[in-house]
Amino acid sequence: MISLDLTRWLIGYVRFEILGGSPERFYTNCARSGAYLWDIAPNRKGGACVAARRYHFLRRSARRAGCRLRVRERRGLPFALRRTKAHPGLWAGCAVFLVIVFSLSLRVWCIGVTGNEKVPVSRIENELALAGLAPGARRSGVNPKAVAQQVLLKIPELRWMSVNLRGSTAEVAVQEAAEKPVIPDQTAASNIKASATGQILSMRVFAGTPAVKQGDAVVQGQLLVSGVVVDQLGGSTLTRSSAEIIAETRRSVSVAIPLVSRREVPTGETLLRRNLDVFGASIPLTLRKKPGAGWRVRRTQTVVSLFGTPLPLGVYEERWEKVRTESDTLTRAQAQELAKRKIGEQASALFKKGRVKNMELTEKWEKNELRCTADLTCEEDIAQESKILLK
Amino acid sequence: MRKDGNLAGLEELSVHEHIEINGNREAVVEGCCGILEYDDAVVRVRTPRRVIRFAGRGLSIRCLTADALVVNGYITAIEFL
Repeated sequence: MISLDLTRWLIGYVRFEILGGSPERFYTNCARSGAYLWDIAPNRKGGACVAARRYHFLRRSARRAGCRLRVRERRGLPFALRRTKAHPGLWAGCAVFLVIVFSLSLRVWCIGVTGNEKVPVSRIENELALAGLAPGARRSGVNPKAVAQQVLLKIPELRWMSVNLRGSTAEVAVQEAAEKPVIPDQTAASNIKASATGQILSMRVFAGTPAVKQGDAVVQGQLLVSGVVVDQLGGSTLTRSSAEIIAETRRSVSVAIPLVSRREVPTGETLLRRNLDVFGASIPLTLRKKPGAGWRVRRTQTVVSLFGTPLPLGVYEERWEKVRTESDTLTRAQAQELAKRKIGEQASALFKKGRVKNMELTEKWEKNELRCTADLTCEEDIAQESKILLK
Repeated sequence: MRKDGNLAGLEELSVHEHIEINGNREAVVEGCCGILEYDDAVVRVRTPRRVIRFAGRGLSIRCLTADALVVNGYITAIEFL
C-alpha cells in the first residue's frame, strides 16, 4: 500500500469534483476509456483521484455524462517541483550538492585499521600514507595489493595485510607476525664455564664430564663441565654439555640517590588549542600561538565514527599547562628507602635463577647525594655454556 | 441449430464475473461493465449477465478500472438481480 501511495505521489495526481450530470455514467465512461480512478467518494463533492497526465482525457467522458469537472487539489512530485521553479537557488543548491557528493565519492576519506595489537595504528597509518593511501587520496589511484605489499615490507612486525576499498572507506585488516622462538643448537659441542666467582653448593650435570666437584671454589670463566666425553674404550667424543651448578657468589651493587630532586608543578594557567579535521584539512578553531618553554602539553585526537566506521571528521586538541620547577629535598630516611628499593631492583636483574642470601649496606653521604653500596651474598646458577670452536 | 444439452449447461455455468469478499468490509468485483448507482448506502454494478447490488453503510469505491472495481465499507447485503 505504501509503495502504491509512493508511486502515485511520484507520478503526481489530481483530486477533482464532479458538477452536474450523472456521476455513475461518468465513472463507467472513464472505466471504459481505460482511465484508472481511485478514492472515488460517494458524494459529488468528494470526487475521485486520477493520475495528473490522464486528467485531460477525462473531459470527453464527462461531456458524454453531462457533467463538468473541477480540480480540487494537485498532489505529487511534479507539482512540488513546479512550485520550486520560482526559486532557481534551490536547483543550483541541489546541483552543487550532487557535484560535491559525486566528487567526494571519488576519494578515500576513512581508513580503519583492525587486527593490530602491538604495532600502533599511527605507525600503520603513516606507512599507508607513504604508500599512497591517506584521507583524500583518489580511489582510482590506490592499488590495494601494491599498498599492502609496500607496507608489509616497511613493517616487518606484520605478516599479513589486506586493504579493502568500500566506497569512500578503506578497511585495512592486518595480522601481526609471531616472534620467532630461539631454538638452541643441540648439535654443536660446548663446555660449561663459570659465569661468576664463588663456591659450588650443588651440581646437576646432564651431559658432559664434570671438571669440578661440590665444595670447590671456582673463578669466573673456569671450566666446570667439559664437552669432551671419554668412553670405556678410551675414545673421546664431543658433546653439548648441560648442567645446573648452584654456587654461592658475592656481588656488589651501588646506587647514587640525589638528595635534591626537581619536579614540575602546574601553576593553574592553561591554554587550549583546537583544530577541526574535515576531509583531511585541518581548520584552526582557536587563534592562539603555541606557547614556548615553561609549558607542558597534552594532545588528544577525537575522531567521529558512525556505527564503528571512522568518519573524515574529528577534533585535535592541545591542552597546554604552564608549569614551574620546584626543588624537593629528600630526608635521610626517604633517601635510604629509595636507595634500598633501587638496589633491590638491580639485584633482581643480576641473575635469572637464584636468590640473594644476605645483603650488607654501606652508606656514604656526600654533599648532594647518597652513595649506597650493597655487598650481596647470592645463590645462583653459574653454569654458562661456551661453544667449542672446531676448525 | 439445436445445441447439445450438456454444452448448453456448461455455457450457463460459465463465469463472466468474479467476486472476492474479504469479511464484510471489502468486495472485489472483476468483470464489471459499469456503475449504475453509487452512494454511501448502495452500490449497483452491472456485469455482462446480471446486476449486483451491494448495500451497507459508508460504502465507497476505492478504485475503478476498465473491468474491475473495489467496494469498501460495511457491507450488509449483496443481491444478484
